[in-house]
Amino acid sequence: MAKHDLAFDPPIMNAAGSLGFFPDLHGPIDWGTLGAFVTNPVSLTPRTPARGSRFQAYPGGFLLHTGYPNPGMSQVLRRHAGHWRGSPLPVIVHLLGQGIEEVAKMARRLETVEGVSGLEVGVVSDANAEMVVALTLAASGELPVIMRLPMERSVELAAAAIQAGAVAVSLAPPRGIIPAKDGELVQGRLYGPAILPLALRMVQLLTQLGIPTIGAGGIYTPEHKKAMLTAGALAVQLDGLLWRAAGYTSLM
Amino acid sequence: MGHNKGRVSEIRLETGRHMEVRIACPAGAIPSAGQYLLASDLDNLDNVLGIPLFAVEKYQHGFWATPQYPVAWTPGTTLDLVGPLGHGFDLPHNLQRLGLVALGETVSRLMPMVHLTAQAQGGMTLFTDLALPLLPTALEIYPLASLKEALDWPDFMALDVPLTRMVELRDVLGLSYGTGLPYPAQVLVTTPIPCAGMAQCGACAVPSRRGWKLVCEDGPVFELNSLKW
Repeated sequence: MAKHDLAFDPPIMNAAGSLGFFPDLHGPIDWGTLGAFVTNPVSLTPRTPARGSRFQAYPGGFLLHTGYPNPGMSQVLRRHAGHWRGSPLPVIVHLLGQGIEEVAKMARRLETVEGVSGLEVGVVSDANAEMVVALTLAASGELPVIMRLPMERSVELAAAAIQAGAVAVSLAPPRGIIPAKDGELVQGRLYGPAILPLALRMVQLLTQLGIPTIGAGGIYTPEHKKAMLTAGALAVQLDGLLWRAAGYTSLM
Repeated sequence: MGHNKGRVSEIRLETGRHMEVRIACPAGAIPSAGQYLLASDLDNLDNVLGIPLFAVEKYQHGFWATPQYPVAWTPGTTLDLVGPLGHGFDLPHNLQRLGLVALGETVSRLMPMVHLTAQAQGGMTLFTDLALPLLPTALEIYPLASLKEALDWPDFMALDVPLTRMVELRDVLGLSYGTGLPYPAQVLVTTPIPCAGMAQCGACAVPSRRGWKLVCEDGPVFELNSLKW
């Protein structure tokens, strides 16, 4: 995949955080069925797992609050850059967009790493358009940049990302709150087929605005994938479905 | 990592209404004590994640399993099976007296240990406050409250503890902070493992003496002393 080339063949990939830091050739995934691999979110410095309740199931899906733990950019490169170099499919490194300088540092470093075909920058849920522009510019350089926007606010923020140079936007899982058994209100990201209607609507609105959009959220069946592409997505990202392992292959 | 098809051949409700499922599958798919198998009914989205299955008892063409969550399967349901996954119990060769401790919602996950160590010379004792299924007569049962007094009896201990109850373990064992058991002990930590090792998502992270460990791939069985508890 060259810069500004977003021809995913097939138009399907994993979402950040769903398949680890590198394509595990010894795992159950048939990598020939994916058009790209997106890494787990990476930050400049290490992040530890979130404390407290990290998982809650609800009808039609589940909530995760993990804190996006990762060993930091240096350790990720040391452990996984070799795998990226030998990857059978394009590797897109997902950067946690916590700060503009941090994203810029990571992006410049990744431009020299063989096997990295693109960057996806995760935008925090309370970012404004100025922040999106700044993060996009910070990431932009030698590699194509996809901006992963908060799903609920993607229509509001997408134009800023594209005008600043992003080649496409993708959709982060929507955030929600679920009461735990002990009454604690657990916040986190929502996954599962229950969010598909919201995701489809966002993809349709974005593509009607002419925004190149990678659809994500709640895709669990071939019909879901087809609907997302029909709504205008240039490709789709899978998340929880991949954790049903071989269930993924039924999409093909 | 194995990938097989299996079939639900029977379902029973154990004492305490805990579900057990008989799975027909290839022998290579059967998890050892403490390991798990990830099972999905691909025709039904009621369970949007794979269900971790722990072995209760093996039979010739499969095993009795205890699912980590309630399932909507019926006899005849075809399952997609990935695994066995994770690290299971590793019993010492010279085991004499086995102590079992169940703090979770069932004693079933410890049952393979009973079958494995039926020859333990000094006996086997289970400490739990749970309602119990029919158990081998060789297994003595005591309430958790008696564990503190009997703590010196085993020469190996296997525990089944939900991650959310690890903070209680020191009280249950009657140990003060900074002290440990005078013999090897391993703990099966139960907690949701949504990605089952596919993503290192961190949802099942547990604090250890050497940083964070993941129940899905570093466990679910850990040396008790390797964890912070």
